[in-house]
Amino acid sequence: MGEHGRADSYRVATIPANYDDNKTADGRAKSRRKQVKKPRKADDLDELKQELDIDYHKITPEELYQRFQTHPENGLSHAKAKENLERDGPNALTPPKTTPEWVKFCKNLFGGFALLLWIGAFLCFIAYSIQASTEEEPSDDNLYLGIVLAAVVIVTGIFSYYQESKSSKIMESFKNMVPQFATVLREGEKLTLRAEDLVLGDVVEVKFGDRIPADIRIIESRGFKVDNSSLTGESEPQSRSPEYTHENPLETKNLAFFSTNAVEGTAKGVVISCGDNTVMGRIAGLASGLDTGETPIAKEIHHFIQLITGVAVFLGVTFFVIAFILGYHWLDAVIFLIGIIVANVPEGLLATVTVCLTLTAKRMASKNCLVKNLEAVETLGSTSTICSDKTGTLTQNRMTVAHMWFDNQIIEADTTENQSGVQYDRTSPGFKALSRIATLCNRAEFKSGQDGVPILKREVNGDASEAALLKCMEIALGNVMNIRRKNKKVCEIPFNSTNKYQVSVHENDDPNDPRHILVMKGAPERILERCSTIFICGKEKVLDDEMKEAFNNAYLELGGLGERVLGFCDFMLPTDKFPLGFKFNSDDANFPLEGLRFVGLMSMIDPPRAAVPDAVAKCRSAGIKVIMVTGDHPITAKAIAKSVGIISEGNETVEDIAQRLNIPISEVNRNDAKAAVIHGSDLRELTSDQLDDVLRNHTEIVFARTSPQQKLIIVEGCQRMGAIVAVTGDGVNDSPALKKADIGVAMGIAGSDVSKQAADMILLDDNFASIVTGVEEGRLIFDNLKKSIAYTLTSNIPEISPFLAFILCDIPLPLGTVTILCIDLGTDMVPAISLAYETAESDIMKRPPRNPFYDKLVPAISLAYEEAESDIMKRRPRNPFTDKLVNERLISMAYGQIGMIQAAAGFFVYFVIMAENGFLPMKLFGIRKQWDSRAVNDLTDSYGQEWTYRDRKTLEYTCHTAFFVSIVVVQWADLIICKTRRNSIVHQGMRNWALNFGLIFETALAAFLSYTPGMDKGLRMFPLKFVWWLPALPFMLSIFIYDETRRFYLRRNPGGWLEQETYY
Amino acid sequence: MPSSATATGNTVTAVGTANQQQNNAATKIRQQSIAQIKQEELLSAQTSYYIKPEEMKLTEKEKFKKFLWDPQTKKFFGRSGSSWAKIGLFYLIFYGMLAALVAICMWVFFQTLDSRIPKWQLDGSLIGTNPGLGFRPMPIENPDSTLIWLQGKNISSHERWANLVNEFLDDYYTPGKSQKGTTSVRKCSYSNPPLRGEVCSVEVKNWDVCSKANKYMYHKNSPCIFLKLNKIYGWTPEYYLDPTEFPENMPTQLKDHIMSIKDEDLKRTVWITCEGESKSDAENIGPIKYYPDIQGFPGYYYPYENSEGYLSPLIAVHFERPKSGNIINVECKAWAKNIHHSRADRTGSVHFELLID
Repeated sequence: MGEHGRADSYRVATIPANYDDNKTADGRAKSRRKQVKKPRKADDLDELKQELDIDYHKITPEELYQRFQTHPENGLSHAKAKENLERDGPNALTPPKTTPEWVKFCKNLFGGFALLLWIGAFLCFIAYSIQASTEEEPSDDNLYLGIVLAAVVIVTGIFSYYQESKSSKIMESFKNMVPQFATVLREGEKLTLRAEDLVLGDVVEVKFGDRIPADIRIIESRGFKVDNSSLTGESEPQSRSPEYTHENPLETKNLAFFSTNAVEGTAKGVVISCGDNTVMGRIAGLASGLDTGETPIAKEIHHFIQLITGVAVFLGVTFFVIAFILGYHWLDAVIFLIGIIVANVPEGLLATVTVCLTLTAKRMASKNCLVKNLEAVETLGSTSTICSDKTGTLTQNRMTVAHMWFDNQIIEADTTENQSGVQYDRTSPGFKALSRIATLCNRAEFKSGQDGVPILKREVNGDASEAALLKCMEIALGNVMNIRRKNKKVCEIPFNSTNKYQVSVHENDDPNDPRHILVMKGAPERILERCSTIFICGKEKVLDDEMKEAFNNAYLELGGLGERVLGFCDFMLPTDKFPLGFKFNSDDANFPLEGLRFVGLMSMIDPPRAAVPDAVAKCRSAGIKVIMVTGDHPITAKAIAKSVGIISEGNETVEDIAQRLNIPISEVNRNDAKAAVIHGSDLRELTSDQLDDVLRNHTEIVFARTSPQQKLIIVEGCQRMGAIVAVTGDGVNDSPALKKADIGVAMGIAGSDVSKQAADMILLDDNFASIVTGVEEGRLIFDNLKKSIAYTLTSNIPEISPFLAFILCDIPLPLGTVTILCIDLGTDMVPAISLAYETAESDIMKRPPRNPFYDKLVPAISLAYEEAESDIMKRRPRNPFTDKLVNERLISMAYGQIGMIQAAAGFFVYFVIMAENGFLPMKLFGIRKQWDSRAVNDLTDSYGQEWTYRDRKTLEYTCHTAFFVSIVVVQWADLIICKTRRNSIVHQGMRNWALNFGLIFETALAAFLSYTPGMDKGLRMFPLKFVWWLPALPFMLSIFIYDETRRFYLRRNPGGWLEQETYY
Repeated sequence: MPSSATATGNTVTAVGTANQQQNNAATKIRQQSIAQIKQEELLSAQTSYYIKPEEMKLTEKEKFKKFLWDPQTKKFFGRSGSSWAKIGLFYLIFYGMLAALVAICMWVFFQTLDSRIPKWQLDGSLIGTNPGLGFRPMPIENPDSTLIWLQGKNISSHERWANLVNEFLDDYYTPGKSQKGTTSVRKCSYSNPPLRGEVCSVEVKNWDVCSKANKYMYHKNSPCIFLKLNKIYGWTPEYYLDPTEFPENMPTQLKDHIMSIKDEDLKRTVWITCEGESKSDAENIGPIKYYPDIQGFPGYYYPYENSEGYLSPLIAVHFERPKSGNIINVECKAWAKNIHHSRADRTGSVHFELLID
């Protein structure tokens, strides 16, 4: 294993630490770095993704001063500072270039379907103007049609612009982390400057409470500690000193970074990078500069639009040409082109999709999942990989006592947030002794005014480990402050990193016992060294080898769990040597520090959040791969991964196998180890192919000690292989990965502003289990969108075929353009939207993620209300290469099968009305020219009657109305069959009330349009005889029967030919 | 030493484990092999989602070519030959059944229709009760045009128009052609209207100068235009019997003509007038003569009941001296109480243009 940074608070003591002394393995000095590169504007994203490549921490102080031409006491000269300022610019983060709003608006207005519709509208206006100039009484149809098409495009464009304009305030949230002022030495004087005015080489002074104003190399320090949580995710304070301890700039002790907090002590340092070149600046540059890419649903819709556009253009141009060949006037051919385009493009679909997504977003918001970008609603459903941060996301980010060892047994403490776990026995003398030490040898205190707050949530003054002990003791014993008051402290030696222990002397609270108690805690092996006896089962025994062995085993076991272990011991000071009032000396100990009585161990860990293991299990059963990516140590990371379920029982890494079989790692067969724990420094060595190999060949992976750039690289690696990646995180260091992911999920309460800005979804209650909800809803909406699209597209065939028949068979037009718009924008909208309320069909969560290379999407919004057909979480995620939103099967079903039946219904009604009025079908073929001619005022029908132009046009428009009504009638059946793709309607039920309303609404609308007086003037819809609603019924029933039968066979032969060809 | 992840492979390694008893080791081996098999399955399931390394190397063009014709799997447009056949068969059967359904529906529907009587009549039908007028000859080269253009010296143009009228009047001159002899045709009069099943004949000699022999006067630049009232099944006119009922806009010429008829029976006629549409047209149109003199369609021809051999009564409108060189817009109207005129809708009237060169 590589080297790990040393920290001197209570860190994992089982890892050996050796620092870098700037020599290679055989003692030669490592090569010096070249001259410092001129700092340049970090505008190349690839360059930003590289790890920090500096050597300022390695060189000697003198060389440092020389490079920057500065002096430790005097700082820079004013002239030099001015020169640097002009050369490099201010010490501030530059905001990224934003595209102007109008450009974004135009993209929305002219993209996708909109372009087709604009062409249609444009042609309409041209046709109208030509008609207006050549005829005396031009029909204003084309004018209205053009206006309607333009209106549709504009409204849809405004719609999509509104939903897309998620203002990205990422840069602003970074700015909030920047300090305002800094104390700088210039020409020997101490000045307070604005942080922006700092330049390279400036000598600054920082003290606790300050934000570090730039990346600095420490040249002096006094007890200085910083909180690097924004860079590494760990909030444990790190001490800083002028020592060069590690090659990795993020690990070494002599660097402190821009916008981290100083929590203790003071220091002086030389500025080595400013502004965008600081580590924070690079992260900010990455996070704001990264292109999030298209969401999976946007890709699907794009693909779908391409498909439909292709079909529309193909049909349009073909029939345009055919029209010419058949001798039509070019103006007529243009009218056909417009009609075919209008009929092909589902105008209401974009609005339908938007409403469906909005409904789902609202549903998710009620479950505390705030979705910032509508399309992200579906992305979780297609996710096949989740890269999760550990601290604060999977864990509570609060050290908690997890285990204790006393009386030669390991006791588990309760780490749940609400004390609902197993309780341990608090009466044994071993525990009493241990708890006394833990309570007294502890400087942490609760902050005031928190009486009503639950113990585990209270804020504490003091470091994390002591806070954990304090809370544990408060829960176990109650009123720790009281105990401390009763056992007054008379002397203490605080923790220092050389000795690795802390000791204090207290007066006894027992009035009969005048002895002082000496209590000590610290690193377990150091404590054991100083003990000669051990307190076991109420008796003090000599510390023999057997006991030491027991101790070692316990220590290894607890350490192996990744927990931070502390040892406790005490000693009753005899009254003869140490009576009451004895002056204890803390600087030079005048009391024994050896031969103490060992009492026990306590180990603590940052425990997983309660809902996480369950959520991870559900995600895995849904086929989603969960990867942990953290800045923390590998052992802790692995332990948490195991306890959470990311590494499952029985799955081994190469190290585990090596250990089990007692062979060196190099001899382990790589293929046997399906789990992997990868250290950040190893990750740096891997090429992208090797990284792909790792990702491809392991089922369970943990990445530890990763930098923010590495998190990004991991996400990119997964995406390169085609996975759809979700990233969960809460810190600034997660922000590039959050941005790059297909969906970024940030914690709402514990998350930083930056991560919330970079993310697409925010968990308002920090509940990881909400991700499961997100997956379920995402899969459901994908299925329901397919149904909506299938419903909407089906009506395209009965809309297009009248035109084709009109051109090819020379019959009077069976369906007009206005009525087509009434369907697409009127009666079909509400049912299609209502499908979004449908419940899940089969087990959505047990499906694997969709393969985007196969599974493809297809009454509109009502279908989005459908419930899942059954447990949606038992499916694997969709494969984004194969499971597309709209695939050939959907088109085949909608266009080739159901659509044809609907067209047949429409034509049947058309012929019925014509025949009942006098025009038998045979008479209609070839009659078109005369029918449309204003000149012919006496067209003869099959019964010899003669029709004026006005009368037969009324007949034609009545046929349009009836065709429209029969489309509505057959769409009833279509809506009901689109509710389910596999189950029978009997099983699914008609509980989707939005859909039932949609059925009634569309019928009422159709009746309204037909029968309301005045509709004949505007829309040319005429009242129908009631019997004319009936001819479509047999077709409606046949659609229903056909599809039920098809699905019946589908269920009987899963995987069979019928499923492959018709199950979309 | 390659060790594959099978149970037998693990027994070899199990010997190396030290601190465990034999059955513990056995269960652990079993657990491990189960775990390993599970992991293998999981891995293969996960990687089925990833792009295969070979595929990552293909360019767009290669992918498209692969789509068109894939030599490895013999797939044409993404489907093998047998797959095309299967789906072709499926659609064949599907459309066959759909066509059958349509045929059945149509057949059932046609049983409800009568061959002679339209299902909906008059106001129940969209044809309404307001017949229009038709004129002959219609300029058939241009179906949207209503211009009758006589080109002065051009004999062939006259001939053309005359031939058009001849074609139209073929059934009138030789009424036996289309008759199948199921109904009887006889001459009717106002006092002798037809009975059920009888059809009135149309006397061609009533047309006087506008006859075949005279080539309908086209060669004399005074064209005869034939007008007919649109046939509507079951429609009977309501006659203007009482002079007080005459509408405001009835031309004086017609009013006088009606007033001059003494026989009340003769007033059971649908009257016809032709006028120029605008003032200038009225000047240019010149004198008009109507043949037959009654200037209308006698009422005994109505109602039309789609009887075999029924011929619509005609009025020949003779424009004796229309002014040449101008387009004359002519509007002819039919007059009865239940005929309403609308120029835009052309109901109860007809519009055409004359151009004499």
